[in-house]
Amino acid sequence: MTTLDGAIDKNQLHQSSHAIAHEHDEARNSMFGFVVFLLSESIVFLSFFAGYILYKTTSPSWLPPGVEGLAVREPAINTVVLVSSSFVIYIAERYLHKNNLWGFRFFWLATMAMGSFFIYGQAVEWQSLNFGFTSGVFGGTFYLLTGFHGLHVMTGILLQGIMLIRSFIPGNYEKGQFGVEASSIFWHFVDVIWIILFILIYVWQ
Amino acid sequence: MTQIAAESSNTDPHIHEKPLSWRRYFSFSTDHKVIGIQYIVTAFFFFVVAGIFAMIMRGELITPETDLVDRTVYNALFTMHGTIMIFGWMFPVLVGFSNYLVPLMIGARDMAFPRLNAAAFWMVPVFGFLFILSFLVPGGPAQAGWWSYPPVSIQNPSEQWLNGELLWLLAIVLSGISSIMGAVNFVTTIVMMRCPGMSWFKMPAFVWTVLAAQIIQLFGLPALTAASIMLLCDLSFGTTFFDSAAGGDPVLFQHLFWFYSHPAVYVMILPVFGVFSEVFPVYSRKPLFGYRVVVVSSFIIVALSAVVWVHHMFASGTPGWMRILFMFSTMLISVPTGIKVFAWVATIWGGKLRLNTAMLFALGGLINFVFSGITGIMLSSVPVDIHVNNTYFVVGHFHYVIYGAIVFGLYAAIYHWFPKMTGRMYYESLGQLHFWLTFLGTTLNFVPMHPLGLMGMPRRVASYDPEFAFWNVVASIGAFLLGMSTIPFLLNIIASWINGKEAPDNPWRAIGLEWLVSSPPDVENFEEIPIVVSEPYGYGKQEPLTENMGG
Amino acid sequence: MKLKTIAILTAIALGLTAISIWVGQLSYSWLPPQASVESKLVDNLFSFLVAAGTFIFLGVTGTIVYSILFHRAGRYDLSDGPPIEGNVTLEVVWTAIPFLLVLWIAVYSYQTYTEMSIRGPMEMAHMLHISEGIPPAYAEPIDESVEPTTNIEVEAKQWAWVFRYPEQNITSTELHLPVDLRTHLVLRSQEVIHGFYIPAFRVKQDIIPQQNIDFEFTPIRTGKYRLRDSQYSGTYFAAMQADVVVESIEDYQKWLAEAAKNSPSPAPNQAASEYAQRKEQSAKASWTTVVPASSPMVNYHP
Ligand code: HEA
Ligand code: HEA
Ligand code: CUA
Ligand SMILES: [Cu+2]
Repeated sequence: MTTLDGAIDKNQLHQSSHAIAHEHDEARNSMFGFVVFLLSESIVFLSFFAGYILYKTTSPSWLPPGVEGLAVREPAINTVVLVSSSFVIYIAERYLHKNNLWGFRFFWLATMAMGSFFIYGQAVEWQSLNFGFTSGVFGGTFYLLTGFHGLHVMTGILLQGIMLIRSFIPGNYEKGQFGVEASSIFWHFVDVIWIILFILIYVWQ
Repeated sequence: MTQIAAESSNTDPHIHEKPLSWRRYFSFSTDHKVIGIQYIVTAFFFFVVAGIFAMIMRGELITPETDLVDRTVYNALFTMHGTIMIFGWMFPVLVGFSNYLVPLMIGARDMAFPRLNAAAFWMVPVFGFLFILSFLVPGGPAQAGWWSYPPVSIQNPSEQWLNGELLWLLAIVLSGISSIMGAVNFVTTIVMMRCPGMSWFKMPAFVWTVLAAQIIQLFGLPALTAASIMLLCDLSFGTTFFDSAAGGDPVLFQHLFWFYSHPAVYVMILPVFGVFSEVFPVYSRKPLFGYRVVVVSSFIIVALSAVVWVHHMFASGTPGWMRILFMFSTMLISVPTGIKVFAWVATIWGGKLRLNTAMLFALGGLINFVFSGITGIMLSSVPVDIHVNNTYFVVGHFHYVIYGAIVFGLYAAIYHWFPKMTGRMYYESLGQLHFWLTFLGTTLNFVPMHPLGLMGMPRRVASYDPEFAFWNVVASIGAFLLGMSTIPFLLNIIASWINGKEAPDNPWRAIGLEWLVSSPPDVENFEEIPIVVSEPYGYGKQEPLTENMGG
Repeated sequence: MKLKTIAILTAIALGLTAISIWVGQLSYSWLPPQASVESKLVDNLFSFLVAAGTFIFLGVTGTIVYSILFHRAGRYDLSDGPPIEGNVTLEVVWTAIPFLLVLWIAVYSYQTYTEMSIRGPMEMAHMLHISEGIPPAYAEPIDESVEPTTNIEVEAKQWAWVFRYPEQNITSTELHLPVDLRTHLVLRSQEVIHGFYIPAFRVKQDIIPQQNIDFEFTPIRTGKYRLRDSQYSGTYFAAMQADVVVESIEDYQKWLAEAAKNSPSPAPNQAASEYAQRKEQSAKASWTTVVPASSPMVNYHP
C-alpha cells in the first residue's frame, strides 16, 4: 500500500526538470488508483457473500449441531461503534483541512480506539462461540467473513497509526494529504462491508 | 538494489540513452520499457517450459497406451502445462507489451506508479518458480487440472502438509495480486496520464483494448482469489466449503472459478485485437476501418464477458433455464467480435498490402481466430456442448484461439515493435520461415483435435481407445513441428538483437507517437510531451499527428 | 457496373451456400453412430452450425485471400491506400446480420434442447420418468405392455462404474439397456465429481457427489457402445470406462434373468489392477495416488 503513497513516489524519473505542469499530479493519480483498488477488493467480499447466501439457502445441514444461532446484542454494540467511527474519522479530516493538527490527532486517535474496540469485541465474541472454523459451512463462512473483515480493520488501524506518526513530521502535509484521505476512504469501505456482513450474518438468521 | 540509485540519478533527460548494459534488465528498474521487456522475456521462458511439458504430453499421446510416463506424471504435466501457459506466459507477456507500449502511445513518460509496476513484475518469477518447484515436493505438483475442481483438488493423497496443490494455490494468489497491482496501474495511467490533445477517441486502439482487458482483471480476479482462499482452507485447514459430504458445495467453486476464468480469455484476446488494429493499418496503408465502433465494441465484450461464465458448466449441476440463458448471452459475444473482424477485413480491402513477417502473423492470426470463434459458437449451443464438453473438441477450440490467434498476434507484435524495442532490424527471411512453420504446425497440431472430440475422446486422458489413434499421431507430429518452429524465431531474435542492422526511428512508416521517438526510446520517452492534434491511423491523409513533434 | 457487382456477389453467395450445405452434410460423418433419439437431434443442429460456420469462415477468409492476392503494394510503391475511415451502412449491416444469425442459432438450439428434454440435476424433485410439458421425442410409439426401463442406479467411484438394477437386485459392470425404450437412470457418486458420457448417445451429465441425479435418454440402435468418464477424477480417470450394450427387449430380459442367477464375484477393474502392478514394479517415476476402490463385486461382468 505504501507504494501507492504519493509521499514515497517523489523521486521518480519523470519528475525531471522539463516536466510540464499538465504532466501529472501524483496525489490525484494515487487517489484514483486507490479507489480503483478498493472497488476491485470489494469483489472478494462480494464473492464470499455470494457463497454465504448460497450455503445458507441450500445447505441441508446449516447450523452445526448444538448451535442455536448467534447472539446479536454484543455484535450490535460493536457495529454501532464501528459505524460511528466513520463519522469521527470524517471530523478528524475536517480538522486537518482547517490545519488544526491537534484536533486532527485527537479525533484520528479516537477512530483508532473505536476500531480497536471493535477488534476486541470481535475477539471476545470468537472466544465465547461453541463452534469453530471447521464446524461445517456455517462455521467456515462465519469465521472466513468475520476474519477477513477483521484483517481489514486491523490494516485500517495500522494505516491510521502510520498517518498519526507522520503528522508529527514537520511540513508533512505541504505536498498534500493523500495518505490521510486514503486511510479515511479505506475506513469507510471497511465500514460499509461490515454493515452488509452484519445484516447477512446476524440479522438474517 | 544498488541499481535503483544508479537509475534514478540518471535523470538528466538530455543525455540520450546509450544502449545501457544488458544488466539493467536484471535490476529493479522502474522504467516501463525495461519492465516491459523483462515481462516479455520472463514470460517466454515459462512458455518454453510449459511447451516442453506439452511435448512430453504429445509424446505420450502418440500411442493409445500409457507408455511414456506414469498416469500421475501425465496428470501433473497437463495441469502445470495449462497453468503455467496461462499464468506464466499469457498474462505476463501481454502485460509486458502493454507496459512497453501504453505510456509511449499515450505520450506519457512512464506508468502512473513506476515502483508498483516493478514490484508487480518481480512477483512473476517468484510465482513462476513456485509452480516449477512444486515438482520437487513429496506428493508431486498439483494434478487436478488448471481448474483445480474440488473434491479432486483437495484429496491430497500424499497426506503431506506441504503439497503441490498448496503451492499451486499460493502461486495463483500471488499471480492474482501481481495482476491486480498491474491493473490498477494501467487503468490509472490510461485515464489520468494521456498527453495534451489525446482525447479518448484519439487513443490508439491498442490502448483501448488494454484498458478493457485490465478492467476485466479488476472485477474478475477477486472472485478467483476468493475461490482460492476457500479452497486453501479446505485443503489445509479442514473446512468443508466444497465438500458435499459435509454440507459444502463443489459447484460453487466452479461458479467462482469461471466467473473469473471466462472473462480471463478476453483479458488474453483483447490486447491481441489491439495488435491487429495497429498492424493491419500500417501494412495496408489505410486507416483502421470504423475506428470508433471497433474500440467501443471492446467494452461491449467486457460487459458481456461478465455474464457468460456458465457456458463452461453446461454439463455440471446446471439447471435448464441457466443453460439457455447463458447460451444466449454467450452467442451474443459474436456480434461485437464480428464487428471487429469485419472492420479488419475492410481495413485490408483495397489497401497496399506489404506481407512482411508481422503482417503475415496478423493475417494468419485473424484467419485462425475466425475459425476458433466459430467452434466457440458451436460450443455455446447447449445440445452440441453436451456432446463435446470435456472432449478434445474443446481443447481444439481453445488452442486455436490461444495459439492460433493470440500467440500469432504476439509474434506479430514482437516483429512489428522489435526495431523500436531493440534498435535493430530482424532478419526478414528467417521471420517468413518462422511464420510458415508455425502456421503448418498449428494446423497439423490443433485441427485433428476437433474430429477427435466429435468422436468422443475425452480430454485429460493419458490413454485412449485405439479408434482415436490416427488423429492423435497427426496431432503429435504437428506439435513437434510447432515446437521446432520456435527455433528459427529464437535464432532470429538473438542474432538480430546482438548483430542486426541498426533500425531507423520509423522503419515501417507507421503513424503513432511511439514511432516519433528514437529506436530504442530515451529513458524519458519524449524530449517534450507531445500535443496530439489528429486521430490515430491517418494513412493517406498527410496530416501531422502532433503539433510539436516531427514526422 | 452496379448491376454487375450485385450479380457477382449473388453468384459468390450462391456458390458459398452450396459448399456450406455440402460441408454441413459431410459433418454427419464426423460423429459416432446415431444410437439414440438425442443423437439425431444433436447431429441435425450440429450440421446446421457447421454449414453456417463454413459460410462465415469461407466468406471472411475468401475476402482476406482476395486482398492478399490482388491488393499487394508493388515493390517500390510507397504510396498510401485510399483513406476510407468507415461506412455506416456497411457497419449496420454487419452488426445486424450476425445478430439475426445468432437469434436463429439460439432459437434452433433451444428447440433442440427442449426436444431432448434432458433432465438437469435441479429437476430432481419429480421421480416419474414421463416428463410433463413438451413431450420427449420417442423414436417409435412405446409398447406400454412391456415393462418400462426402471431406475437403473449408476454408481461412479474412483475408478469404476457399477450399474444396479433395483427391481431384479442385480449389479453389473456393463450397462445393459433395452432398445427403443426411454431409459431412466439415477446417477450417484461417492467421492468426487464424475461425468456420465456415452458419445454414441450424445448425452453427458456430471455426477455431483451426495446427489441423486436423474437422467434420461432413449437408445434406438442395438450394439455395443462406450461409456466414458467425462469429468476429470484423478489418477486413473482415463481408465474409467465401461461398455453399454443396447439389445432387444427379449435379449435384455434374458440377460437380466441370467445375471440374477450368478452370485456376486469381483469384476476386473483396470485402475485396481494397474495400481497393484505399480506397487510391484515401480519402474516409472510416479507420485502417490488416491488408492483405487477395490474391484466391485457384481452379478455380471464381461
Ligand atoms: C483465450 C481466448 C478465448 C476466446 C477469445 C474464446 C472465445 C469464445 N469461446 Fe472459448 N474457451 C477458451 C478460450 C477462448 N474462448 C478456453 C481456454 C476454453 C476452455 C477452458 C478449459 O476448459 O480448460 C474455452 C471454452 C469454451 C467453452 C466451454 C466448452 C466446454 O468446456 O464445454 C465455450 C462454450 O460456450 C466457449 C465459447 C466461446 C465463444 C462463443 C467465444 C467467442 O468469444 C467467439 C467469438 C468470435 C467469433 C464468433 C468469430 C468472429 C465473428 C464473426 C465473423 C461474426 C459472425 C459470426 C457469427 C454470427 C457466429 N469457449
Ligand atoms: C497459453 C496457453 C496455451 C498454449 C500456448 C498451449 C500450447 C500447447 N498445448 Fe496446451 N493447454 C492449455 C493452454 C495452452 N497450451 C490449457 C489451459 C490446457 C488445459 C489444461 C487442463 O486440462 O487442465 C491445455 C491442454 C493441452 C492438451 C490436452 C491435455 C489433456 O487434456 O490431456 C494438449 C494435448 O495435446 C496440449 C498441447 C499443446 C501443445 C502441443 C502446445 C504447443 O503449442 C506448444 C509449443 C511450444 C513449445 C514446444 C515450446 C518452445 C519450443 C522449443 C523450445 C523448441 C524445442 C522443443 C521441442 C521440439 C521438444 N495442451
Ligand atoms: Cu471418474 Cu470423473
Ligand atoms: Cu468461456
